[in-house]
Amino acid sequence: MNPGMKLLLVMLIALEISFTQSLTVNVILIVVSFAYILTQHVSMKALFGIIFWPLFPAVGLFVSQWLYGSAGIHFAWILFTRIYAYVFLGATFTLTSSITDLSLTLEQDFHLPSKFAYGVLAAFNLMPKIVEEIQIIKTSALMRGEALHFWSPKLYFKSILSSIQWSQNLAEAMTSHGFVEDYERTHYKVIRITALDWTLFIVLFAIVQVLLFFIRY
Amino acid sequence: MTDVSINHFTFHYPESDVKVLNDINITFKDHHFSLLSGPSGSGKSTLLYFIAGLYPHFSGIDAVGDIKFGDTNIKDIPKEKVSQSVAMMFQNPNQQFAMDTVIHEMTFVLENLRIVPDKMDDIITHALEFCGIKQLRSRVINTLSGGEKQRVALACIVAMDPQVIVLDEPFASIDPGSRLDLINKLKLLQEKHGKTIILADHDLTSYRDLVDEFYYLDPDTHQISLLDDEQAEHFFKNFESTQTINKKVEIPTGDDHSIIQLSDFKLDPHDSLLLKLGHFDFYKQKTTLITGANGIGKSTMFNALTKLLPYEGTIVFDGKDIKKIRPLPYAKNVTLLFQDAENQFLNITVKEELDLSLANRTNKAYTQTDVDDMLAQLDMAGRDERIVYSLSEGQKKKLQIIEMLIMNPPVLLMDEPFKGLDYHSLEVVVGFLNRAKKDFHQTQIIISHQLSGLDTLIDYHAAFENQNLTYQEVIK
Repeated sequence: MNPGMKLLLVMLIALEISFTQSLTVNVILIVVSFAYILTQHVSMKALFGIIFWPLFPAVGLFVSQWLYGSAGIHFAWILFTRIYAYVFLGATFTLTSSITDLSLTLEQDFHLPSKFAYGVLAAFNLMPKIVEEIQIIKTSALMRGEALHFWSPKLYFKSILSSIQWSQNLAEAMTSHGFVEDYERTHYKVIRITALDWTLFIVLFAIVQVLLFFIRY
Repeated sequence: MTDVSINHFTFHYPESDVKVLNDINITFKDHHFSLLSGPSGSGKSTLLYFIAGLYPHFSGIDAVGDIKFGDTNIKDIPKEKVSQSVAMMFQNPNQQFAMDTVIHEMTFVLENLRIVPDKMDDIITHALEFCGIKQLRSRVINTLSGGEKQRVALACIVAMDPQVIVLDEPFASIDPGSRLDLINKLKLLQEKHGKTIILADHDLTSYRDLVDEFYYLDPDTHQISLLDDEQAEHFFKNFESTQTINKKVEIPTGDDHSIIQLSDFKLDPHDSLLLKLGHFDFYKQKTTLITGANGIGKSTMFNALTKLLPYEGTIVFDGKDIKKIRPLPYAKNVTLLFQDAENQFLNITVKEELDLSLANRTNKAYTQTDVDDMLAQLDMAGRDERIVYSLSEGQKKKLQIIEMLIMNPPVLLMDEPFKGLDYHSLEVVVGFLNRAKKDFHQTQIIISHQLSGLDTLIDYHAAFENQNLTYQEVIK
């Protein structure tokens, strides 16, 4: 499915289940999403991650609603499954779509300014450098006798300073590589939203509406 | 004919009276290979950014005078046509790509130039072949070495096929093999494909018989002059002399106390082996100079010594495995003077920076008078309220050295500490370092390409080559 359409669908469904209270539909969404993810050859590490890490907020919400809430254990289960539904729905997008394809379709089909599409992409590709930079900032501060933690303003000040520098360099490099804002470009890989994309989008969305309408428990 | 002519070109920052470029009048000839030299921070980059059409757009400050490609003022070339005239290769290999893989970046470049998609594959294949990097086509750019990244940058330029190629110290962090190869490729582009090459570099290695013109940017007058053969030869000779040192140092005899020991040590980030050592010792209260070509892993070794990078094997400091020493005490014992001075700064003003070092230092070896004296000797006195990021590169380096001396760590690692310093400042700093060693028993390990002037400081010399580190008598 077109990554842009997929993202839109996932976000719409996630928004809907925030305002509805159907335990069964949540479970169905989780099962279907998980089945889909399993067909996409995702690494064991990633699978473990999406199952394990949400456990903390999910259990936290469950316990506090169950013990201290007024809406009972049924609602506690809804909250619990909702967290997992969010994560698994999100994972059907993040684990299986390429960020490059997403920015291509955002530019070509959703007509976002190319500056935005490629800016996001470039920032995404800088992520490993940012992690490295934060490590350098922390070590360098230790050498000056200061331990910086994730809440230290200095850490943010220094990272923001580096980011500004990098974004400037990157903008210069893109310009030097012929990129001109809001000017027409050709496309090597043309991404279209096909009839199949539309059909899948509408059918899947409709199914969720039907389920939410009929299954209230 | 597309000579690049610079006419009455003057540039200065609004807050400063000093002109970075002062009434420049030169012509970079069509189909020629021009070298622009001058000390770091003298304004070479600024001129190149204007030639490449990136300034004034990205600087926000315009210059007086004009730059012409043939008869056309660069400002009259429509934005989308500029890249047909000129393309630029940058100093930092890490910040010139927007996309994830080589093929995506090259496609991005061609899309920007509105090339018909059917033609892209051929253009890309040809450009990669020209640069000898066909095998890198699908690689993720982040996993490439500095030398490989610069080859990809050149491949992008070859694919763009501009008339003028501008390069800003493009070889500063890449290995000698890649450097020579890239220089030869540029020569080929000039001779066989009629390109105009304008390259700025303060390192003059391997340009002697290659360049057609040698321009020099004088840091005092801020003017650029075309040198004749005799003058150019003088600069080449002068540069070579800074790369040598007339001193035969001793090989450690084993009588010294070792302070850092590396055993079964292996360094291979991104699966490319940089260094493999059975056993190696650094000695206490000695200054060890590490020499070796660019981009072969010297700084990476410092990163391992400061726990910034994972390594295999063990590093022992003062009898203890460094993995078992807590981060803060270790960092205060084995401290790195970063190559980029800004990495060291945590505060905004000069005074705040100095105060931080005075507050957190390991011991009180330096008195306030010592500090004031050091500042005065390096011409840094009276700049208390200056914002550190607004200092010149040389001033940043001086402040960085002083604040790290005040910290007075038992082991000070220094990565190119003399870069951007004039010769007098270098001599002063060498004096400071000698004092720290003799009076405060500091161990110093220095990576430096600048060798002249260090005679009195160096005790031992370790050569980094062939993925190995060995003590040697001769420094070259």
